[in-house]
Amino acid sequence: MTDSKDNTETGAGMDARFEDFAAYALDALDSDDERRAVESLIDSDPEALAEFNELFETAGLLAIAVPPVSPPSHLKANILKLAAEDSAPTTIQSAPAILRPAFWGTRIFRSGVAVSATAAIAVLLVVGALGYQNSQLSDEIDTLRTDISVEAVAVATLQSELSTTVTDSETKVASMKSDLEAMEHEFGATTEKVVQQEEMVSKLAIANDALRQALRDQSWLTYVAMKEGYQVESWLAGSQQAPAQSEASGLIAVKVVGNEAVFQVHSLDQPRPGFAYTLWLMGNGAPRPVAQFEVSEIGTATVPFLLPAPLHYYSSVMVTQEQVNEIGNDPSGTMVIFAETN
Amino acid sequence: MDGVYRLNYQGLEDLELLAKIGDQDREALATLYERYGRRVFVLAVRILNDPVGSEEVTQDVFMSVWRRGATYTSKKGKFTTWLFSIAHNRTIDELRKRRRDRSRENDDIDDHLNIKSNDMSPADAAVAQSEYAKIRAAMEQLPVEQKNVVELSYFKGLTQTEIATKTGQPLGTVKTRMRLALKKLRTALSAEMGAQV
Repeated sequence: MTDSKDNTETGAGMDARFEDFAAYALDALDSDDERRAVESLIDSDPEALAEFNELFETAGLLAIAVPPVSPPSHLKANILKLAAEDSAPTTIQSAPAILRPAFWGTRIFRSGVAVSATAAIAVLLVVGALGYQNSQLSDEIDTLRTDISVEAVAVATLQSELSTTVTDSETKVASMKSDLEAMEHEFGATTEKVVQQEEMVSKLAIANDALRQALRDQSWLTYVAMKEGYQVESWLAGSQQAPAQSEASGLIAVKVVGNEAVFQVHSLDQPRPGFAYTLWLMGNGAPRPVAQFEVSEIGTATVPFLLPAPLHYYSSVMVTQEQVNEIGNDPSGTMVIFAETN
Repeated sequence: MDGVYRLNYQGLEDLELLAKIGDQDREALATLYERYGRRVFVLAVRILNDPVGSEEVTQDVFMSVWRRGATYTSKKGKFTTWLFSIAHNRTIDELRKRRRDRSRENDDIDDHLNIKSNDMSPADAAVAQSEYAKIRAAMEQLPVEQKNVVELSYFKGLTQTEIATKTGQPLGTVKTRMRLALKKLRTALSAEMGAQV
C-alpha cells in the first residue's frame, strides 16, 4: 500500500457517479450544489447509499486518528451547565425525518437556518410534501430556539438579580453581625466595670465598718480611760524576737483601781482558719494566757482582760495564733507580737 | 449511592442514553460526554490547533446532541459516525470561518498538538492509545499521495479543489485519491478493529 504508483490510483473500476462521495464524507466538497447532488443520488439509489455509508463510516474513524489527550476538566461541567440552562431537548416525531440516511440529518444539523431552508427546497424537488413538512419543522425548531434563547436571557437576568440581592443581604447580615459583636464586647466591658465597682464598694463598706469599729473601740478606750480611771501602762512594739514581716503594735491600759485591763492591737493579719490570737503575759512564772480574740477586717482589736497580778510583775507580752478554745500551758502557735512591758 | 447510579448509566448503550436525553436527563448527556467528549475535543484541537476554540466546538457538538439527540435512530448509521460527523462538520466550519477572517499558517500536521495527556485514567489512555495507534498505522500504510489528500481535507479543512490547486494535481486525481484512501483504510481497519468498522 505504500507504492504511490498503485494502479488503483487511476480509479479504474469505480463508478464515476460516486466520485464525490469521499469528498462529501471528508467535508471536502466545494459547494452546497455538490452536496445536494450527492444527497439526491443516495436518496434514490440503494447501491449509491451502500457505497456512501461505507465511505462515511470510514471517514468517521479518522476522528480517532488523533493523539489521545484529555479535554480540560471544566469542559464537562460547562456543557452540563449549558444543558441545564437550555430548555427541553427537542423531540421531532416526524417519521420521514427519522428515515433519512445518516449524512442527511447531520448536514441539516450543521447547516443552520439558511442551509436548512435551502435543503428544504431541494427536498421539495425530490420528495415534494416530505420536504415541505421538514421545512415547517425546521421553522418550528428555529422558533423554539429563539424562544429558548429569550427565556435563557430572562433566566440569566433573574439569576443575576437574585445573586445581587443575595450578595446585598449577606453583606447587611455580616455588617449587623459585626455591630452586634461590637455591642456585646462593649456590654461585656461595661459589665466587668460594674462588677469591679461593686467589689470596690463592698471593700469600702468593709473598711468603713472596720473604721467605725476602730472608732468605737478608740472611743470606748478614751471613755473608759477618762471616766473609769484607766491609764496606759505599756506600749507594745515589735522586738527582735517578733517576726520581721509583722507590723503589729499595741498597748495595754490598766484600770487605776482593781485588776481590769484592756489590750488594744493594730495591723494584725487575719488568723488561719480554726485559729485565734491569744494574749500571753510572760516573765512571772509560767506564761499566762489571759485572752483569746479575733481582729477586725483592718486588723484591729480591743480586748478587755483581768490581770492575774500587777502588770509590772510581767516582763513581756506575747501574741500567738492558737487553736480556738484549745489553749495549752505554753504558747505553741505562730508568734506575731513579742514586746517587753515598759 | 451516587457511584451506583453512575455505574448504571455506564452500562447503558448509546441509544438508551440518547432516549434519556430526550427526557432531559443530563446524567445521560454526562455519560455520553465521558465516552466521546475526549475524541470530539482532540479532533477539534487537531484541526483548529486552538484548545480554547476546541472547547467551544465541543460544547456546540454536545449541545446539538442535547437538543437533537432524541431525533437520532440507528437507521442513520452508527451513533459514533453520526456524532463524529457533527463534530467534524462543526470544526471544519469554524476552521473555514477563521480562514476567511485571516490567513492561517500551514503547519505541519503532527507538530502542533501541545496538549498533554494528563487527565485520563491509565486504562482509558491505554485504550485510546491503542485505537489511535491502529488508525495511524493504517494511515501510514497509505500511499503518501492518498494520505496527503486525507489529511489536507479531513484535518486541514481544504476542499478538493483547494487540494488540487495546492498539490498541482488534477481535480479528478484528487477525488480518486480520496476515495481510494477511504477504501483502503476501511480494508485495513476491518482486519484491525473488527466490528468498529
